Amino acid sequence: MDTSSNELVLDAQDVAIHYGGVKAVDGVSLSLKKGQIHGLIGPNGAGKSTVIDAITGRRRLTRGKVSLAGVDVTDLGPTERRQRGLSRSFQRTSIFEQMLVRQQVELASYKMGVANSGADADAILQELDLMHLSHAVAADLGYGEQRRLDLALALVGRPAVLLLDEPMAGLSVKESHDLAKHLQALTSRWDVSVLLVEHDMDVVFGISDVVTVFELGRVIASGAPAAVRADPRVRTAYLGSAA
Amino acid sequence: MTLQRISITTLVALALGATVAMGVSSNLLSLLTQAVVYAVFAIGVGLLLRQNGMVSFGHALFFGFSGYLVGILLQMKVMPAELAMLVTLLALTVMAFLMGLVIVRVPGIAFGMLTLAIGQMFFLTASRSRGLTGGADGMSIDWPATLFGVAQSQLLKPGTMFLICWVTLIVVLLLLTLLLNTRFGSITEAVRDNEERARFIGIRTLLPRAAVYALSACVTGIAGLLSALNTGFVSPENLHWSLSGVALMMVVVGGHKVLWGPAVGAVVYFLAKDILGSYANHWMAIFGIALITVIVYSPSGIAGVLAKWVQGKNAPGTLSKTLGH
Amino acid sequence: MLTINLFNGLVYGALLIIMCSGLALIYGLRRVVNFAHGSLYMLGAYIGYSIAGATNFWVALVAAPAIMAVLGVLLDRYGFRLLQDRDPLSVVLVTFGLLLVIEDFVLTIWGKNNFSMSVPAALNTSVDLLGTPVPAYRIAVIVVGALVAIGLSLWLRYSKIGLFVRAASTDPTTTAMQGVNTDVLSAGVVGLGTALAGLAGVVAAPFLSLSPSMSSDVIIDSFVVVVIGGLGSLAGAFVAAMVLGMIQALGAVYLPDAAALLPFALMVAILIWKPAGFAGSRT
Repeated sequence: MDTSSNELVLDAQDVAIHYGGVKAVDGVSLSLKKGQIHGLIGPNGAGKSTVIDAITGRRRLTRGKVSLAGVDVTDLGPTERRQRGLSRSFQRTSIFEQMLVRQQVELASYKMGVANSGADADAILQELDLMHLSHAVAADLGYGEQRRLDLALALVGRPAVLLLDEPMAGLSVKESHDLAKHLQALTSRWDVSVLLVEHDMDVVFGISDVVTVFELGRVIASGAPAAVRADPRVRTAYLGSAA
Repeated sequence: MTLQRISITTLVALALGATVAMGVSSNLLSLLTQAVVYAVFAIGVGLLLRQNGMVSFGHALFFGFSGYLVGILLQMKVMPAELAMLVTLLALTVMAFLMGLVIVRVPGIAFGMLTLAIGQMFFLTASRSRGLTGGADGMSIDWPATLFGVAQSQLLKPGTMFLICWVTLIVVLLLLTLLLNTRFGSITEAVRDNEERARFIGIRTLLPRAAVYALSACVTGIAGLLSALNTGFVSPENLHWSLSGVALMMVVVGGHKVLWGPAVGAVVYFLAKDILGSYANHWMAIFGIALITVIVYSPSGIAGVLAKWVQGKNAPGTLSKTLGH
Repeated sequence: MLTINLFNGLVYGALLIIMCSGLALIYGLRRVVNFAHGSLYMLGAYIGYSIAGATNFWVALVAAPAIMAVLGVLLDRYGFRLLQDRDPLSVVLVTFGLLLVIEDFVLTIWGKNNFSMSVPAALNTSVDLLGTPVPAYRIAVIVVGALVAIGLSLWLRYSKIGLFVRAASTDPTTTAMQGVNTDVLSAGVVGLGTALAGLAGVVAAPFLSLSPSMSSDVIIDSFVVVVIGGLGSLAGAFVAAMVLGMIQALGAVYLPDAAALLPFALMVAILIWKPAGFAGSRT
């Protein structure tokens, strides 16, 4: 067994997505170690969401390979990848508006195949500070609470890898801060590894172990946050020289 | 709703029905019976809207079809009437499920137009098949001398007929409430609210939707049987799209978020139609205006208004369950 | 006999063209399936009848559609515009409510009896068509249908307003952002749509009798045409209208049962395979 690839819970190699003459993603390699938080930043249109779609199987690869814990999942669809522990949240909050909070989390857990779906749901709601809203209708929740519900749905069955697409979008400073703390707790307490696409620089550089910078469908820098922040290419392309 | 609450409500409803059956005049009973039959019809249509978020303009198909099928089976004299009724409902449900598998994939208003077209095809076929269905004149239904051990003369008494229809209504509501509180209910709600996410969490969305379609058809079919029992007659008008439209109006005015909303709509419809005295001639316009008003100002219908009023009296936060979620 | 039947098919097809172009325009701009369109047709016919009774057919031919146009503008301004952010089904049901109100109105004012409107004197002759005499009036109907089809196509294709209409049908937000007053445009187009329904009614009155069931007779055929023709596509509607007119006329004589079912079968097939036109893409 190749021990180095076992350490990588997620490994995307030379991933490319081309369509209609557009090279949305062009030869990207990313990896995630267990318990790591890996931040993805880059200007709008750089291809970050497309990469997430590619990794989860929502879009087909023109080229490249995706592996989960050493197993090649490139030919599997999103549902199969989910079953193997690769979960995601959506850029636009995607919840079940007319259902009750606990009801939908429990349903998601049940469909995931979790034996005691009720306990799983309760644990997640507890972890994300939603316990007090268990019997509320999702549509009645505040925006920040709905984002956490979206996250709760992605966490059923304790996935190994969680891909987050702009989780802080639309949240107040306090809400972002709280969510960031939840994410850190998840990685340390639950051994979930997180890949997050985000525009909020403070959050990304604050909680990530590794930061990767995208531009025009390619990686232009990757490494520890401080190093990336100081990288001149990143400064000119994205952060602006004042950063 | 809790089991206790459900049981109490059911018993009270049954008692209410019995009281009405014994105490009210024959004419009023006939009217109420019709209202109850249409209430069941509307509940079927409303179920599709509530659980699947889909609007059907062709549910009269099932209303008329069950009447025709039971009539034909009785004419052929191949089985006892009780069995014929059961066979009719089963055949109708299976047919609806198979149809559902194909048509529930069609989105938005296209689905409504599709159900309209299919309904019209059945209407035209029934209108023209003189040999089988009696054509445009309709067909009378040969109910036997006794049904479920009860003599026809007794059955046709207004009080008995009303009670039969009322009990059917309550039982249908009860069974639906119980069914929708199970896992099946949650799954269909998830598909209704967010089909993509539902698929993402592993729900195969076609089967639950088709099942709800079949279930709503079955309920409507039950109403059709009640109508056949009540009037002893079925005609192509029972299949016409305007009848589907009327049922849909009852659903909207009554409110589709709660199971019993459409029943309220049916009652309002018949009240408007018959009891408005000298204004009775304009009941159509009145209902049309009511429909428009409800849609614009109170989309959750009369039941929605009632439920909010009840909820206002309860503590805040108990919103969801009281609404019959 | 074939000539006569084909001819009648053309006549009915022409009538459908006039009606369905209105329906297609309203859908194209407001994404509304106007269930009340048939009753607007009926209302136009009855109003035309009354006006013709007081003056003559030609005045009615202009006045009735004009009145219906005003009604359409009001309908858009106080109906469709206010409801445009609601889900499409709500608006459809509102048009259903409107259908009821209009039907009740017609019954109240004109009663349940059937009326017939006489053909205008100028057209009250027969013309020889390939050896068979046909009523001149019906030829006129075909001419009107053709004029509407050609006129609308040219207008949409070459005029500035036509361009705005096409743009607004495809992308209302961007069109509005370009400075086109989409509200005024929509009101105008809906007014045109209802005027066309009214025109169809007046045109139809002399050769189909006026009855309270007029609206339900045509509304289903109109939906069939618009669906088969492909939504929002006027050209498609024109072709489908002609085809349907032919099927109805020929079928009524030769194969009544199949002819009645065929349009619906087509509609079902199209909606199952390609519902794209109806899929509420606007939201």
